[in-house]
Amino acid sequence: MSSRRSGQARRAPARVRGVSLWLIALLVALVATIQIRSQAEVERSLVGVDVTSLAFLIDDLHRANESLDAEKSDLSRRRLALSSGQSGAADQELTDEISRLKLLEGLVPVRGPGVVMLIDASGLTALDLQDALNNLGAGGAEALEVNGRRVVTGLPVAEESDGVAIDGVIVVPPWQITAIGDATRLADVADLMTQQLRADRRVRSATYRMETDAAIRSVVSEKPFVYAIPS
Amino acid sequence: MSRQKLASLGLVALVALATGFVVADQLRTQLLTPSNQVARYQALVRSVQELESTNAESRRQIAELRAAIDALEADAAGRSSTTQSLRREVAELRARAGLIAMHGPGVEVVLRNGVAGPGPTTSGSHLVNFQDVQDVVNLLFTYGAEGIAVNGRRLTPLTAFSGSEGQIVIDQGTPLSSPITVAAVGDRNRMMDALGDPSALPDVRAREVQFQLQLRVAGSPDVTLPAYDSSLQIPNVKPA
Repeated sequence: MSSRRSGQARRAPARVRGVSLWLIALLVALVATIQIRSQAEVERSLVGVDVTSLAFLIDDLHRANESLDAEKSDLSRRRLALSSGQSGAADQELTDEISRLKLLEGLVPVRGPGVVMLIDASGLTALDLQDALNNLGAGGAEALEVNGRRVVTGLPVAEESDGVAIDGVIVVPPWQITAIGDATRLADVADLMTQQLRADRRVRSATYRMETDAAIRSVVSEKPFVYAIPS
Repeated sequence: MSRQKLASLGLVALVALATGFVVADQLRTQLLTPSNQVARYQALVRSVQELESTNAESRRQIAELRAAIDALEADAAGRSSTTQSLRREVAELRARAGLIAMHGPGVEVVLRNGVAGPGPTTSGSHLVNFQDVQDVVNLLFTYGAEGIAVNGRRLTPLTAFSGSEGQIVIDQGTPLSSPITVAAVGDRNRMMDALGDPSALPDVRAREVQFQLQLRVAGSPDVTLPAYDSSLQIPNVKPA
């Protein structure tokens, strides 16, 4: 009897130990599962875009939406003026539109605040100039000129045997790039660009200055459509 | 139970309690941080989605406003020859600015992401980026394009490209990602020849080999480009 009791007493702690081990194993498995799932969730949601890029994207979208709001306001005002039916309202609106489109298409000389960059280098290519112009455009440039040649998107900037050409005319370094737009934003872009350019071994010097009233006197020559049919 | 046994049981309980606190704290640190990251990330994603939705709605409204203005101008032009002449001039300028839809012979270039390479140094090289789109667009304009649209976004004289890894932002639009279709109207043969030149688009060609980035080109007798539907505000530019 006593040996049976002592045997039962030995089996009871052994059972408890077994249950405890199972419980611990279960807890460890639970914690591990939660931990792995949490990490997987983070990784899955972060695929492709990091938080910093998202923050920049939000900033860009805010700016874009503000610009769209300004365009909507302007268009609403024009629609209202045209709807008034007042004599001469349509002519005035159309004349204003012609002036505005000529400014943005580079068909007339312009002035305004902005920056002037000076890049002295040898061996820079058309891709380098395209990048520089695109960076300034993305930074809010509303009008651009390189060495007295007006540049708008759509005008060929190409590599030729004698160097980089804008619409077929070679622009020999040093390049002086004039950009008109929000001077503070453009200065930020120009600052970053000049820092990067100075790290380029092909570049002898890269500087910029802010202008309260920069002038761009060159214009783009109009080319008629040969293939395109406006619908 | 002896005092010694009680003391040792108490010690075990204390150690177990301390271990429990340490483990709980550690778990809280390890589990809450990721869950906070997820919440923060999701909040940012929600902001982006809301801003994108506002953006799309604004562009739809702008297209409607422009159509309404065009109709009112047409009405006014029907009553005056001066207005009619001004309207013709505006129409030409608007076409050049990308504000009017156009069609004609042209090409379509499709860029698709490739396959990620091993190692962090090549990170992102398999993705189509804004510089690739910019290079294709510049090549097409150099070789006879008269109008271009990227994934249905018409380009204008003020168009600029930006973006981060695998995302392409054009003007005030929402980000685009692979596949990217660049549609161009213009001198189809010159554009096809330029795109077929193995020395053109060197960066894209190199990544075609290294990361299986895809560049597909097709000519077409009739490519249609939509009108630009965003802002063309130039508040800082004045006539000289």
